[in-house]
Amino acid sequence: MKKYLFLHLIIITSSISYGQNPSCTCFIKGVVLDQHSSQPIVGATVLLTGTTNGVFTDNKGRYEIRNLCPGSYQLEARIVGYSVYKQTIDLTAGHEQNFTLLEQEVHLKDVEITAQRTDAPSSQPLTTISGNDLEQTRGQTLGESLKGITGVTSMQTGSSISKPVIHGLHSNRVLIMNSGVRQEGQQWGSEHAPEIDPFVATRLSVIKGAAGVRYGSDAIGGVILVEPEELPFNKPLSGEVNLVGFTNGRQGVASSTVQGGIKGLSGFGWRAQGTIKRGGNLRTPNYFLDNTGISEKNFSLGAGYRHKGFGIDLFYSRFDTKIGIFSGSHIGSVTDLLNVINNGEPFVKSGFSYKIGRPDQNVTHDLLKAETHYNFQDGNRLQWTIAQQVNNRNEYDLHVPRNDSIAALNHPELTFKLNTLTNDVIWDHKPIAGKIAGQVGVSTLYQYNLMTGRPLIPNFNQFNISVFWIERYVKNDWEFEAGVRYDYRKLSTHRIVSRQKISNYFDFHNGSGTVGATRNLTEHLSARINAGSTWRAPNVSELFSDGVHHGAAAFEKGDSTLHPEKAFNSIASIKYASEKLTIEIGGYFNYIKDFIYLKPQPEPILTVRGAFPYFKYTQTDASFKGIDVSAAWQFVKNITATSKLSYLKAYDTRNDNYLVMIPANRWDNQVKYEIPALANLHNVFFSVGNLWVARQKRVPPNSDFMPPPAAYSLWNIQAGGTIHISNKQQLEIGLSVQNLFNTVYRDYMNRFRYYADDIGRNASLRLKWKFGA
Amino acid sequence: MNRKLTWMLLFGIAALFTQCKDSGDEVEADDENELITSVTLTFTEVGTGTVTTFAYKDPDGDGGNAPTKFDTISLKANTSYTLTPAFLDESKTPIDDITAEIKEKAYEHLLVYTPNPTTLLTYTYGDKDTNGYPIGLTGTAKAGAAGTGTLKVQLRHQPNAKNGTITPGSDDVNLDFNLKVK
Repeated sequence: MKKYLFLHLIIITSSISYGQNPSCTCFIKGVVLDQHSSQPIVGATVLLTGTTNGVFTDNKGRYEIRNLCPGSYQLEARIVGYSVYKQTIDLTAGHEQNFTLLEQEVHLKDVEITAQRTDAPSSQPLTTISGNDLEQTRGQTLGESLKGITGVTSMQTGSSISKPVIHGLHSNRVLIMNSGVRQEGQQWGSEHAPEIDPFVATRLSVIKGAAGVRYGSDAIGGVILVEPEELPFNKPLSGEVNLVGFTNGRQGVASSTVQGGIKGLSGFGWRAQGTIKRGGNLRTPNYFLDNTGISEKNFSLGAGYRHKGFGIDLFYSRFDTKIGIFSGSHIGSVTDLLNVINNGEPFVKSGFSYKIGRPDQNVTHDLLKAETHYNFQDGNRLQWTIAQQVNNRNEYDLHVPRNDSIAALNHPELTFKLNTLTNDVIWDHKPIAGKIAGQVGVSTLYQYNLMTGRPLIPNFNQFNISVFWIERYVKNDWEFEAGVRYDYRKLSTHRIVSRQKISNYFDFHNGSGTVGATRNLTEHLSARINAGSTWRAPNVSELFSDGVHHGAAAFEKGDSTLHPEKAFNSIASIKYASEKLTIEIGGYFNYIKDFIYLKPQPEPILTVRGAFPYFKYTQTDASFKGIDVSAAWQFVKNITATSKLSYLKAYDTRNDNYLVMIPANRWDNQVKYEIPALANLHNVFFSVGNLWVARQKRVPPNSDFMPPPAAYSLWNIQAGGTIHISNKQQLEIGLSVQNLFNTVYRDYMNRFRYYADDIGRNASLRLKWKFGA
Repeated sequence: MNRKLTWMLLFGIAALFTQCKDSGDEVEADDENELITSVTLTFTEVGTGTVTTFAYKDPDGDGGNAPTKFDTISLKANTSYTLTPAFLDESKTPIDDITAEIKEKAYEHLLVYTPNPTTLLTYTYGDKDTNGYPIGLTGTAKAGAAGTGTLKVQLRHQPNAKNGTITPGSDDVNLDFNLKVK
């Protein structure tokens, strides 16, 4: 959900006629409007960066800054609930000429400022990937696209399944908001990647730390926001076509978007978008990985209408993927696993092929959303979002049933059908004295899950209701926010145990809260601090797992007496930003009480495939301490060095031990050379980067079949540029080579590290043709 | 204002119950396609024809209740036996005869018998699949000198990869029976 600030800037430069000293009589004036409603925004601060020269918009949204000398200014518009927007305004143009200014010769300049409305807690670090940075990730999965953010890593199952990890937490502890709707798939599964096509988004943002108050429980680690652009109301037809090719897996991706308004019908906007992806077997430096192809077909449709204060948006998206699972990862027993580990490479050899055979996953995710809002004349705003999601996951094992007639049906060995209905009603109350803004919301969620096939998790019905209230207060250089939330969840599970239906009923409820402050110390320096608590109810797999998890060669047993985890998060960061240097240092300390994890049991469990290490879902107390540092320094003209460091130490404080599956520390460096624009050539750059990932030394002793892999260092290069074909057409070209030297490595967070190396060199070529507005 | 808000809230919550469904009405029994719940080893003494059987049973499959039966194999020293294994999936109705399915797909299965210490028993395959590779659904087990140890019984599932060695594929059965040779 976004609003836009339109600042219609009327810049009048004038000079007084002959014989008088040119004095500072330039002024900027305009009006701040909400795009949705075209209603004026009252109490927005408009100021010139670096000066105290700020004004508030009046009750008609108007503002005026007078008595300006000629020069270049940066104009800033701020209002609670919106991201700060900055725009450079030149008050020099046409100023040196001495002439008498007639009224007709007034220099008018309409500058459209679109400020993103933000729901994210302002006192928590929010990192956004958009524009060029996002372009460079095109063609990759959502999990891969986010890897460039400090503190964000990924948990992988092979190379095609990637889940985002924020500050060491993932799966059920990370919430993904897909176009304003809480993404509901089978997130608990470590090999269940988010069913989202990154091409629907023009911004990917990550809120690090618990943002549970605004977004609901489970957001212990953080929240990922996948946000499309505002629909192009009343705009001419425009669009883009993206083509991406990767050498590794010989993968091709095509995605295009077409959008526009409707001629003759005011207030309408629509968009259609689709993506096709097809790749074959991936290659490590020394061998191919059998059956690692991918086939994806996604599309989304959006339409909306705005009239005065009223707005409605409809959105439908379908994600449909078929992912091959590396067949060399199929094991029956611990013996099988140890044999592969001792062999040092997979027993299964293959060449290149696009064929996706068993084992594989076939997942579809449909999302239908309707969002209506109304902006009242007095500044209140009411929004209601209703959405339905249907997640169908089919998993096929390597082996078909032995019985031919059953095998011929080619049924999946495991199916999940998850149907979710969410409702969110949010009321933004009108700003009080232009300083306090806030929102109150009610959210409900109803979902049911149907399972067939191999025993894994039970069927369940779940109902959630939550209320939250957040207020923000802005004064001078301070911004405070505080919020509270209460969630109630009802869960019923049903399974068949020795031909009897067994039902269990659970009630979970809990409160969460957050307080935070942001302080702008100087023009360049700002600091923010946030503390909050949130919670997460145990999910069905933690309550009821009972069997061998073949991917992990472990027998995992749930515990239906588990109670919710409670997290206490604190995060502080300081940011210095000047023209040539940007540094952001953030530290966090998260304490999770009753953290649910798989505790190794002393006795193995006997199955027909032999004894498996026995793990039981157990609760402990865990602490996550870490530092994220990112810096960008333009040390010579056109050359910028970027450095990002993520450090994390996770500890089981109750048992005095480390935790498993915590991402290793990493350091990412890049040097970028930007070539000044030539004629039609813009944004031409060349960059060289290196990612160094340490060995994860902090693992509990004897907790794994093999020690964490060694540290590794990967080099990459990128180049790109944009050709402006005409005013309305641009062609963007990007080249990149990942793992330049074809380095052999394995990553601790890749669940297939027992079986095979990670993928080798991967060169890609991106073409993007933009047309229209 | 407040009236509108209340109205919208009510409407929102009402919309929730438009399509409630109970997942409890549609619970399906688990269905695991490769499940084997019982492994029976039949040793028929060569010459006398005396039959002894030893079994592993876990009727509810992995998890749930612990295996109900895991016999110690007891054999006479320096005696030859015909060894025939049988595999069942008793969780299905009717009971699934896995042995027959293995026979039918002999070209992708291999049974491996590994005594430890090796002096306890010598196994000789008595059957071949269409490609001339051993299967192990029948064979000769010759008990050696008296002693105790284990006999590992593995059912290797090797679709499109069977080459007469143990390496390809994965275990469908991997059991260490205790073995007594008297």
